[in-house]
Amino acid sequence: MEDITLTINGKNISCPSGTSILEAAKRKGIKIPTLCYHPDLEPFGACRLCLVEDEKTGRIMASCVTPVAPNMTIRTDSPAIKTHRTNVIRLMLANHPESCIVCSQGNRCELRQIAADLGVGEVDLYPMPHYTGLEATNPFIVRDLSKCILCGKCIRADHELVVAGAIDYNLRGFKSRPATLYDMPLERSVCTFCGTCLSMCPTGALSLKNEQYVGSPQNESKTICGFCGVGCSIVMGSVDGRIVEVNPSHEQETVNGSTLCVRGHFAHDFLNTKDRLTQPLIRDNGELTPVSWDAALDTVAKQLVDIKKKYGPQSVAFLGSSKCTNEENYLFQKIARVLFETNNVDSGGYMSGRPVLNRVEKRMDGGCRKNPLSNIEKAEAIVLLGADPGHSVPVVSYYLKRASRKGIPLIVVDPKKTEMVPFSSLWLNLIPHTDSQLINGLAAMLWKQNSLDAVFIDRFTEGFDVYCEGLKGLDIESVCRDTGLTMEAMAQTADLLAGKKIAFVCGNGILKQRYGMPSMGALLNLLLMTGSLGSERGGLYIPARENNQVGAWDMGAVPDALPGRRDLDIESARKDWERAWQANISPDRGLDVIRMVEEAEKGSLKALYIMGENPVRSLPQPERVRKSLERLDFLVVQDILLSETCKIANVVLPGAAFCEKAGSFTNMEGRIQSFEPVVAPLGEARADWEILQLLAGKMGSPQHYGSLEKVRGEIARFIPMYRDLDGGVDPGWVRQKGDRRLFEPDGEGTLIPFTPVVSIEHKDINDEYPFTAILGSQRFHLGSGTRTCRSGRIRDYGVKGEIELSLADGASLNLQNGDSVRVESEHGFIEREIKLEKGLSKGLVFIPVAFNANDVMNLIGLTRLGEPDSPGWQECQVKVAKL
Amino acid sequence: MKPKEIDREQLKAIIDRHRGKTWALIPLLQEIQETAGYIPPESIEPVAEALNLFPSQVQGVITFYAGFSLEPKGKYVVRVCRGTACHVKGGRSILRLMRKELGLDEGQTDPEYRFTLETVACLGACFLAPTMMVNRNYYGKLNPNKVASVLAQYRKKKGES
Ligand code: SF4
Ligand code: SF4
Ligand code: SF4
Ligand code: FES
Ligand code: FES
Repeated sequence: MEDITLTINGKNISCPSGTSILEAAKRKGIKIPTLCYHPDLEPFGACRLCLVEDEKTGRIMASCVTPVAPNMTIRTDSPAIKTHRTNVIRLMLANHPESCIVCSQGNRCELRQIAADLGVGEVDLYPMPHYTGLEATNPFIVRDLSKCILCGKCIRADHELVVAGAIDYNLRGFKSRPATLYDMPLERSVCTFCGTCLSMCPTGALSLKNEQYVGSPQNESKTICGFCGVGCSIVMGSVDGRIVEVNPSHEQETVNGSTLCVRGHFAHDFLNTKDRLTQPLIRDNGELTPVSWDAALDTVAKQLVDIKKKYGPQSVAFLGSSKCTNEENYLFQKIARVLFETNNVDSGGYMSGRPVLNRVEKRMDGGCRKNPLSNIEKAEAIVLLGADPGHSVPVVSYYLKRASRKGIPLIVVDPKKTEMVPFSSLWLNLIPHTDSQLINGLAAMLWKQNSLDAVFIDRFTEGFDVYCEGLKGLDIESVCRDTGLTMEAMAQTADLLAGKKIAFVCGNGILKQRYGMPSMGALLNLLLMTGSLGSERGGLYIPARENNQVGAWDMGAVPDALPGRRDLDIESARKDWERAWQANISPDRGLDVIRMVEEAEKGSLKALYIMGENPVRSLPQPERVRKSLERLDFLVVQDILLSETCKIANVVLPGAAFCEKAGSFTNMEGRIQSFEPVVAPLGEARADWEILQLLAGKMGSPQHYGSLEKVRGEIARFIPMYRDLDGGVDPGWVRQKGDRRLFEPDGEGTLIPFTPVVSIEHKDINDEYPFTAILGSQRFHLGSGTRTCRSGRIRDYGVKGEIELSLADGASLNLQNGDSVRVESEHGFIEREIKLEKGLSKGLVFIPVAFNANDVMNLIGLTRLGEPDSPGWQECQVKVAKL
Repeated sequence: MKPKEIDREQLKAIIDRHRGKTWALIPLLQEIQETAGYIPPESIEPVAEALNLFPSQVQGVITFYAGFSLEPKGKYVVRVCRGTACHVKGGRSILRLMRKELGLDEGQTDPEYRFTLETVACLGACFLAPTMMVNRNYYGKLNPNKVASVLAQYRKKKGES
């Protein structure tokens, strides 16, 4: 498009046509006051504050909605404009309540700020405030709509960014206000409490409900959300070293832009719980007793070294954290591998389905690591498989909803009618764990109509022939029988996908299910056949549940790979790291977290060092886990909270939360994000990397890093994927690993193999347990809920995590909403209230995780994910009885 | 008398006829309003679902236009003009009279759902000021006698039905 030249305040400006006058001025550093404009929202032109004048024509216009035109001669501050602006503000203030003076928005209110800038003090107009009453009935957002200036930012944020539709204008004229359906309080609407509207509101009409503090914070600084793997950029406000509020950082290049979710926005108040650890503790006469750091670290070092000497390297294990930084996980596994000569290292990522993801890693040889979520809005078609991102990784759901609103076909594959279903073109309500048959069936249908990317297959893959043999033999009718889908639904799906590059968003429903391995295998085949990988119009997106589960794996906090995801079985990988570390590395695979528990149970594992994980709450069969860990000779837990696992430890070391230290996290997209501390660690607590470094010193490591930069330097030097970690403020994206041709710019390299079609024999359902329970998350909690259940706001909101049953089962069991049931599997039972759900098929029971100390883990067996005989952790057979 | 019973099947048919046509929100709402005499609040969600809009959006449109109502109205909707021309010609006393005659305030409907009293900004018939409308009929050059006779006419109609 042609550039357009004009002058603004005498400056010559040239900009693309279509640019608004406001944006053109902004680029030249000319400030025009605004109240309803936001760069992330469609311009609206409601507040009339951004008025400017064209000197030539005398025309006065709202600069945010007026595009530049050739030869305009704009003045942003002529006397006429100033008068108009002042009048606009006077009118707004006349409509404003007196409580303005004591408004908690205080000096951050944009309306007051602009009034002050324009010199508008006392308003001389007849005051006509519109009292609406204060709505402060939920623990997150306070609404005082008498202070609303109808800028519409909240409504546009709600519709355009998070696509919730909770609010819109209601009524007209003087009475007009943003309202929910039937003008109900927010908690009785579809509001998800993402808070996006709250951090956009220019006045005190929407404000943060804060029991702990009123007013604006003393300090604000940027960091990364500590909850899920989206890795939202946030600004945390603090007062006297305590976090009092969180907002999105409002930077367009971040993953979240101006959005957040309820956890990121409101649940960080868990940081101020009384359960925070503030000093080292040692068990003395059965009681955890405060001691000095020196005493604690001496004990840990001595005990671990003694146990290793006595029982050998395999008797000690290390469980790292998907919540700790890259630097910390790197140091942690290095201590295990170098000082203890063991590969018994794992991290919380196991609980998020790493065994199945390992399959992707191997097939792609570490390619396919950079997956910007912004590409989802460029996809040709999207398939959402076994994921309910609105709850698990809410920001991903915003991308999907926006894509759907743009008209990109979205297919939801889920036995449950999730919140994404209303946004979908098609909902495939399949029988649980039949995804692999569905995917293969679809592949066969596409293949039969020759809907494949032959050039792609030829250039980048191998083994297509064998795969085709498998597809040829597939009988679609039996696929329909297995999956419970109609032929028509299958055909419609194939139609929607035909000839398109597909973006798959694949969640725990695949990663943690019984047939996770074959499902993932089938999925990769379909991605390859359709040429959907390596293109921004398709791809594979794996929602990471924990903020640094990806980074912890990259840093080698896993039993079968060295840092940089180098396969432990490959000699050259070991040699490289032996050279780097000047140490011998054991070629023996280490224990994963499940085997750690099993070996402790048998008595062959003697000592365990846990950093930032709470396996007694997050693993299946928690009682069994507890007993097994109690059998250890020595258990060290380094954490920020006095968790269930801390309570059985011999030594507890107080670490620092993400906002109390510097470091870097790698998000689900492959974006490495470094950050600086917002506040200092509490009490005597210390950054985890410092603790590790002190310990390493006491355990005889000759190396002393002294600073985080040195640790980063070592990572950048020896892990090519993280080459950009040192020095720079913004390390950017994980670099490509391996040499798959698809991901190599020079077009050289190895091919990605297709795998044969695997058919699955279904096990018969045991009549004793006729229901299938599906475990899933709820947006108010993360993971097992160790942190979110300590958020005062989340607690006050009072979600109970009711067990959901179909209407039909409700009727046959004579159950009503609010009744309690006992749900029992072969491993254990739980008791909870129920809720009847229309969107659930007969025979299915949905159980939200993280509630009641995550008791749902009693229902599933402690088996290794992805093993052929493992029933997975996502579903289990249960019986249900009314209490 | 009760407000007209709503024929749910008929409403459903109207909504289904507009399914998928996001642009058709206003005509769809008009049709519901015509058929039921108002827009039953419980139809907001089905309308939104059919047109792929948010229910809050649909509500916003309904409450923005004076022509839509979320409450059932009387059989006869009296709209007294409060525009400038009518004001000058004594529109205010016409309204006062109407309030007294019907025993209703602006926006109210009598318990028998016979009459609803409303005001409008201008009926666009200023040359006939002061004016009012009853349902779709205009009445101009009003004076107390004329108001009484118009009302009597509708009261009688009611008696017939
Ligand atoms: S509540 Fe705030 S953001 Fe929403 S319209 Fe009113 S002033 Fe604007
Ligand atoms: S909190 Fe989020 S979902 Fe709720 S109204 Fe605001 S933007 Fe919408
Ligand atoms: S929990 Fe996840 S989606 Fe929510 S704000 Fe934090 S990083 Fe973003
Ligand atoms: S900023 Fe332009 S009208 Fe509000
Ligand atoms: S002012 Fe009453 S009809 Fe115009």
